[in-house]
Amino acid sequence: MNVVGMKTLFVKEVRRFVRIPGQTVLSPLISTALYFVVFGSALSGRISEVEGVPYLAYIVPGLVFLGVANNAFVNSSSSIFSAKIQGTIVDLLVAPLGPLEIIVGFVGGAVVRGVLVGLLTWAVGILFAGGTLVSLWLTCTVLILGAYTFALLGLISGLWAEKFEQVNFFPTFVMLPLTFLGGVFYSVDTLPGIWRTVSLFNPVVYLVDGLRHGMLGVGSFATWVAPVVLVAVSSVTTAISYALLARGYKLKS
Amino acid sequence: MNTPVLSLEGLQKSYGSFTALNDVTLDIRQGEIFALLGPNGAGKSTLIGTVCGMVKKTAGKVRLFGIDIDDDPVGPRYRVGLVPQEINFDPFFTPTECLEIQQGYYGQKPDPERIREVLEAMQLTSKANVVTRALSGGMRRRLLIAKALVHRPQLVFLDEPTAGVDVELRRDLWTYVRRLRAEGTTVVLTTHYLEEAEELADRVGVIDGGRLLLVEEKATLLQRLGERRIIVHLEKPQAALPPQVAELGGVLSEDGLSVSYREKAGARGLRPLLAAIQTAGMPVNDLETQRPRLEDVLIQVLRGRGEA
Repeated sequence: MNVVGMKTLFVKEVRRFVRIPGQTVLSPLISTALYFVVFGSALSGRISEVEGVPYLAYIVPGLVFLGVANNAFVNSSSSIFSAKIQGTIVDLLVAPLGPLEIIVGFVGGAVVRGVLVGLLTWAVGILFAGGTLVSLWLTCTVLILGAYTFALLGLISGLWAEKFEQVNFFPTFVMLPLTFLGGVFYSVDTLPGIWRTVSLFNPVVYLVDGLRHGMLGVGSFATWVAPVVLVAVSSVTTAISYALLARGYKLKS
Repeated sequence: MNTPVLSLEGLQKSYGSFTALNDVTLDIRQGEIFALLGPNGAGKSTLIGTVCGMVKKTAGKVRLFGIDIDDDPVGPRYRVGLVPQEINFDPFFTPTECLEIQQGYYGQKPDPERIREVLEAMQLTSKANVVTRALSGGMRRRLLIAKALVHRPQLVFLDEPTAGVDVELRRDLWTYVRRLRAEGTTVVLTTHYLEEAEELADRVGVIDGGRLLLVEEKATLLQRLGERRIIVHLEKPQAALPPQVAELGGVLSEDGLSVSYREKAGARGLRPLLAAIQTAGMPVNDLETQRPRLEDVLIQVLRGRGEA
């Protein structure tokens, strides 16, 4: 295994997003702050508490998850897509880097960005709604495994995309509906019967719920559900990413 | 006998019904400069891409340093460098950082001394810490060359390395490539500047339509197929060539002041030509000879006259 090569790619990926903090870190923070202002302030007047937690505090884990998932996804997808467009992907294809090294490098950088934005979002949330931490291990597990899973999805999306329009396909048509319908702003228990059943097919529901358990100590499902779902989904996405890179999917002609 | 640095056996690459490489068999020897020549779309870059991991072969064997890339696609690549034909650059990083990253990809720790050396060789020292998006096209091309060499590869593919590079720097690069060869590095070169291949290559391969038409020592090839051009400058303009000069193959220039003649490889045409000109009473002012050119040989081979 090329450990130095893998570490180099990882460090490069981190340096890449650190060089443009306005776009990669500040911008998502402003979006989150707006969520707090618009959703929190507007709805907290009508919904005072959910599951015994003030509404503004209740939406913090969901918004943290939103920040983690979006940024981990966008980092790896845009990085690999721009490498394809700029032609620098050649450097990786020619170098002695196998699928594992490429996954760790790209996804590692994306996880760092996702978790960083998640933590900063949490800090913003604490400013607006105060903060609690009930389970450190569960919070860390969901944050890191969640970032890892969405970074892998970003990698797959970046590999698949051939046009700028396609890079936005997953975030717009898959991630946005899944996250907004994933209980970020509400509890799935409040949904009417059929919609609650439909929600159970959305993995994001369990991940947001897991983070809520970790941060607030409340949730709709058992605490073990989120880690189990994350391990299952990340195993599948890891296997798919590995297979695509080993085949040179849309990288090699 | 030494194991070839690169060995291709029945290499085939097809895109649907289009065959980009057709049964290519070739050995590249250690320490040589091999020029792969051919027209656009002949299969040169596909061949390089197949060896370097950018193109998936359809059939055949590729052995790098004696290792079959089907058995170990990654291991042999520690010893390979590539200058791709298309310019690429990462706008976030400076040339120094790009070279550090490149060394890292090849499992090496950053070596500032080596980076300085390569930047200097490519005349990029003054731009070492400028972001790459601020570099000119020629500088970006030179950075590509630096990236391909910074990890000290044993086999370097230079796919059109001097396209868009000015003449002076091109000559400096030739000197550097010769130095690489002296250090034992093997170089596979594709170029449209045939003068470049003529200057550098030990052996030449001609590819067209995905088929390798010919592989030969450059010197032997030029001797076998090259034509020497002889120009006899006359003192007075002539209206027409005397028959005895025309029969030998002499051609009168438009201004009537010179006779040109192409001497086939191995032929001894200069003496009879001069004798015929003298007999015809045409005073000679000067004599000019031009050595055989690879360009003429390539044209002959592509027209199907190159088979040994």
